[in-house]
Amino acid sequence: MAHAHSVKRHTGLMDWLTTVDHKKIGILYLIAGALFFGIGGIEALMIRWQLIKPMNDFVSAQTFNELITMHGTTMIFLGVMPIIFALMNAVIPLQIGARDVAFPFLNSLGFWTFLFGGLLLNISWIMGGAPDAGWTAYVPLSSTMYSESHGVDFYTVGLQIAGLGTLIGGINFLATIITMRAPGMSFMRMPMFTWTAFITSAIILFAFPAVTVGLVLLSFDRILGANFFEVGNGGNPVLWQHIFWIFGHPEVYILILPAFGVISEVIPTFARKRLFGYSSMVFATILIAFLGFMVWAHHMFTTGMGPVANALFSISTMLIAVPTGIKIFNWLFTLWGGQIRFTAANLYASGFIPTFVMGGVTGVMLASAPADYQFHDTYFVVAHFHYVIVGGLVLGLFSGLHYWWPKMFGRVLDEKLGKVGFWFFIIGFHMTFFVQHFLGLLGMQRRIFTYRGDQGFDTMNLISTIGALLMAVGVLVFLLNVIITSTKPANAPNDPWEDGRTLEWSIPSPPPEYNFKQIPLVRGLDAYWKEKMAGHTEMTPAEPVGPIHMPSASILPFVMSVGIFVAGLGFMYHQYVVLGIGLVVTFGCMVIRSLYDDHGWHIDPEETTEKKGVKA
Amino acid sequence: MSQHNTNQGSAVRHRHRTEGPQKHIIAFIFSIVLTLIAFATVAAGGVNTSFTIILLVVMAILQVLVQLGYWMHMKDKGHLIPILFLAFGFFVAGATVLTALYLVWW
Amino acid sequence: MSAPHAEQVTSALPHEPEKATLEGRNKILAFWLFLGGESVLFGTLFATFLALREQAADGPTANELFQLPTVAAATFILLVSSLTSVFAIQAMHKGNRKALSLWLGITVLLGLGFLGLEIYEFYEYVNHEKFGMTTSAFSSAFYTLVGFHGAHVLFGVVWISLLIAQLAKKGLTVVTAPKVYVSAMYWHFIDVVWVFIFTVVYLLGKVG
Repeated sequence: MAHAHSVKRHTGLMDWLTTVDHKKIGILYLIAGALFFGIGGIEALMIRWQLIKPMNDFVSAQTFNELITMHGTTMIFLGVMPIIFALMNAVIPLQIGARDVAFPFLNSLGFWTFLFGGLLLNISWIMGGAPDAGWTAYVPLSSTMYSESHGVDFYTVGLQIAGLGTLIGGINFLATIITMRAPGMSFMRMPMFTWTAFITSAIILFAFPAVTVGLVLLSFDRILGANFFEVGNGGNPVLWQHIFWIFGHPEVYILILPAFGVISEVIPTFARKRLFGYSSMVFATILIAFLGFMVWAHHMFTTGMGPVANALFSISTMLIAVPTGIKIFNWLFTLWGGQIRFTAANLYASGFIPTFVMGGVTGVMLASAPADYQFHDTYFVVAHFHYVIVGGLVLGLFSGLHYWWPKMFGRVLDEKLGKVGFWFFIIGFHMTFFVQHFLGLLGMQRRIFTYRGDQGFDTMNLISTIGALLMAVGVLVFLLNVIITSTKPANAPNDPWEDGRTLEWSIPSPPPEYNFKQIPLVRGLDAYWKEKMAGHTEMTPAEPVGPIHMPSASILPFVMSVGIFVAGLGFMYHQYVVLGIGLVVTFGCMVIRSLYDDHGWHIDPEETTEKKGVKA
Repeated sequence: MSQHNTNQGSAVRHRHRTEGPQKHIIAFIFSIVLTLIAFATVAAGGVNTSFTIILLVVMAILQVLVQLGYWMHMKDKGHLIPILFLAFGFFVAGATVLTALYLVWW
Repeated sequence: MSAPHAEQVTSALPHEPEKATLEGRNKILAFWLFLGGESVLFGTLFATFLALREQAADGPTANELFQLPTVAAATFILLVSSLTSVFAIQAMHKGNRKALSLWLGITVLLGLGFLGLEIYEFYEYVNHEKFGMTTSAFSSAFYTLVGFHGAHVLFGVVWISLLIAQLAKKGLTVVTAPKVYVSAMYWHFIDVVWVFIFTVVYLLGKVG
């Protein structure tokens, strides 16, 4: 503490509001994600409860529309995205051997902006009705003519704000991975999770601006009376579908690639083998991202784009099965002949593989344009994308959470409860969604709020609803596990799985504020494993012990996000004074940030050494 | 050009060779000429429409290349990642624009 | 060129102060990434415009509306401002803070000139041509695309003005230099977008 810059250290709530530490921001993302995941999950249960029997009147048709819209929107934009960002924040800087992200301030800004966008979207429930035009908000259904409440305005404005936060987070991670890697960590030595986070961030960078524009256009139509999608004045509704899916399809890969990354970390660890075909994994990830931008119109086969466009998009879609197949085989070959331990994390990872393959196969079926005319807007599609997103991404996230929980919180989650939760979740999942394939083929349309008793949908809907309840039990078991674990002492060792391969396992759990006392020297792929095999217990440092520079905490990101939130509300309700005030607050904070340089502060070498002594 | 200047400031200065204002003035004049061609063709009128459209687009792309290359220093070393990311941004933008054209044409 | 200025580079500031620190290099890199995203943003706006530009409904068409001399003037102003921001960066590389601030000041003035022309143009359209946001799909697309660009110019003008103030207070340092460099990148990018706007919106609008 002898150093010149005396730091104001916040405690309690203020610490969380002002933190720029990526590990704490990761935890904030996790809490926010859990909150929205919970809301989206309750919406899902209400949907399933409504459909448990024919002609049910649990909710009205209008409420049902709001529920499906908010379930989709919340889960995709506000539920799983922040949990992905939670893992990225908690792990990426550690995996690349960095003390921090490239832009700690922006990292915090990204989180708060995202959170306030999500809150704006969700307060619609208590402010006159939630959005009700489906998560895709197709016009004219989402135009003021058919959706009179402010619901869709909450959707357009809330998602713009949340999207801005996501975009900021994406740019931060791109820059972090490009410039902050430890000496010796070339691109082709990066752990797979870092690679997928990198590619996901790149897709975020190129996909989110498109939807931002789409949402701006829709909000201008609704709020300012513009004519982008208003056929009477020359507008074009199909344009919305294109813009939405130019973003929307890459979004699917934004979601699934990090799950691929998690699986690629968990499986080698618990199979005690290096990842099979690392280079082909990297190549496949990049190829999936690239192709992901050229397939969007397969969501629109039935809009009448003509045979040429349909055929082209069919083919490009089917092509994606190739790199994805490469990945599946690589995971299987990694498991092959390994000394496999089925921990909870590995159970989720192993459950992921067959489940995701099923989602992939129905994906190829849907890619066939003629067949899609039959599948379109039926429960077959619902089953398909839940297999990909829940069976793929959510299983991957649970795997990652069990795997990295000790690194984030210093406590290993209870294995027994973890396994119980897994079995409830995966059995419930397959019960819920497997039957929906057949419901779709029998002709049950997506998004309908009820059905008649003589349509032959009864039994399968009942099974589906029971499955949903089992999934809910699985999630509750996980929550219980979290609560029980948090009462135990935080005594997780550096490398609780004992076979950790990457750099995050070479430092304490949870890591100190500065992550690495000395930046490690990376001598190969799976850097920590390589040192272990050479008989070392620690990484070779790449620098002498010295003072560590840290960024200062700041409340500005929080205030800026409040400003945007207020401005958004003002815009929606035509209160331009409020809009102005919100923008002044936000831009004012930007000016303050620019005018006052953040010199940060230093941690003395004595302090880091001392801490280490205590720990050991 | 350049290692003749070996006094203590050479490390600082040897990249000055890329800094002459003439190069930028030439780029500027080039931009102006391209712009003038575009405006003049439209103002004159009477030229075949599809030819004009192609000409305009080519002029715009040339001008953008000049600006990115010279004024934003993309020609310089160490710009691989900026080039990759900007190029992919242009690629996605281009795909979107083509879609819009297809939408109108179909 | 370098020899005569050798004596001026006496301060501790390196030749490219914007890239002297990791923070500076990060900032420039991240800004490039951001511009990649901006390309998609404007690409989508251009796509919207192209899809809707013939849809004038009962309102005026592009050909009836646009006046080439105004557009030519705006284009010339913006091109010159791009050149002046190049000169600003050159002055920065020579460590000449005064020249740097001067060139930035000229850039801001030119940006204001451009904005003035644009506001005048919009004002004329709305008041004398009955061409507002709600007139037709074409009008909505026009105002949104050109307005987004205008908002970017406005942001740039405010930003660069702030930087001039900061330079006056803090001087040219390894902290302020990356900010100036990044603002110049932004300004060039605005110019690049304008090249497409005058081509796609105005000139193609005249051609038909």
